[in-house]
Amino acid sequence: MLIKIQIITGAISILLLYFTFEMIRKEKIREEYSILWLFTGVATLVFCLFPDFFLAKFLIKITGIYYLSAVVVIVFFFLLLIVLHFSVVISQLTDKNKEIAQRFAILELEFKEWKEKNMFQ
Amino acid sequence: MVNGRKCLVIIPAFNEEGSIEQVVENVRNHLPQSDIVVINDGSKDRTSEKARACGARVLDLPFNLGIGGAMQTGYKYAHMKGYDVAIQVDGDGQHDPKEIKKLLKALEEQSLDMVIGSRFIERSEYRVSKARRIGIVILSRVISVIVRYEVTDPTSGFRAVNRRVIKLFSSDYPQDYPEPEAIVFLHRHGLNIGEVPVDMSARSTGESSITWSRSMYYMVKVLLAIFVDCFKKGHVLQE
Repeated sequence: MLIKIQIITGAISILLLYFTFEMIRKEKIREEYSILWLFTGVATLVFCLFPDFFLAKFLIKITGIYYLSAVVVIVFFFLLLIVLHFSVVISQLTDKNKEIAQRFAILELEFKEWKEKNMFQ
Repeated sequence: MVNGRKCLVIIPAFNEEGSIEQVVENVRNHLPQSDIVVINDGSKDRTSEKARACGARVLDLPFNLGIGGAMQTGYKYAHMKGYDVAIQVDGDGQHDPKEIKKLLKALEEQSLDMVIGSRFIERSEYRVSKARRIGIVILSRVISVIVRYEVTDPTSGFRAVNRRVIKLFSSDYPQDYPEPEAIVFLHRHGLNIGEVPVDMSARSTGESSITWSRSMYYMVKVLLAIFVDCFKKGHVLQE
């Protein structure tokens, strides 16, 4: 039973790491945003490779959660961080976007007025 | 120039080609000494051309920012050009420009920082739907408690502000439904707000941005924003 879970989580983490690396390589994702994804992939991989060390002796003793549940909880925690991080990033982008749009509108009007003034002189 | 002060009338408009000409003409007739700037908030119709044809200055936003972002564009412009007074008038024609002088008078005589044109101080002909009425009453109670004087019409977008508020709004203005939040925001900065009774007509064209389906969201969003605002740190303006 444990080996099946190990294979599944291992495959997921390797896929995740592979796609994250690919996206960084093709510049589809900025490094700063990929860090959390890489962490998630690595954390899952570590749990897949060393289930006994991390879990039997450590986490189960503290938490009493079994292997898969532990992995799910940990991955979920990272996903939560990622989504929260995205909300912050999107909010900042929205603000910057607004600022640019406003400055653009004002500059455009200034430019048009300047152009008209200089054309009729 | 009105009484030696540079005045700017800011008219935010989103798809208001049916009413914008009339609003601009009315403002010019009642307040010929002021400058008019129309903020075209990414309209899909000919709002921008029509406003420009009437001789108003037009700030064209490249895409729709919503009323908060559009108003702030006007305030940024007013701040940049050094205006002493800015007046908000909706582009849909529900604010009667002949009432602007009342706002200006109160702004000057009571030395207020912002004057709001209220529909509800005196019995006016203005009728609102039950949902909006309830929403406005709840908001006005909450805001009155926070600012410790009565605000009867916190959602009114018919306002006049002085130089200090122009400066403040140009750097920071609330987003989605900004009118009620702006009151709390100014109160937090220790500025004085007053109301004068005005008549408003029902919208001549188009639809209000507040419909039944949105009023719940509106209430939650605005109350949350006001609640959060109460916990932000107040700081004194530097002149």
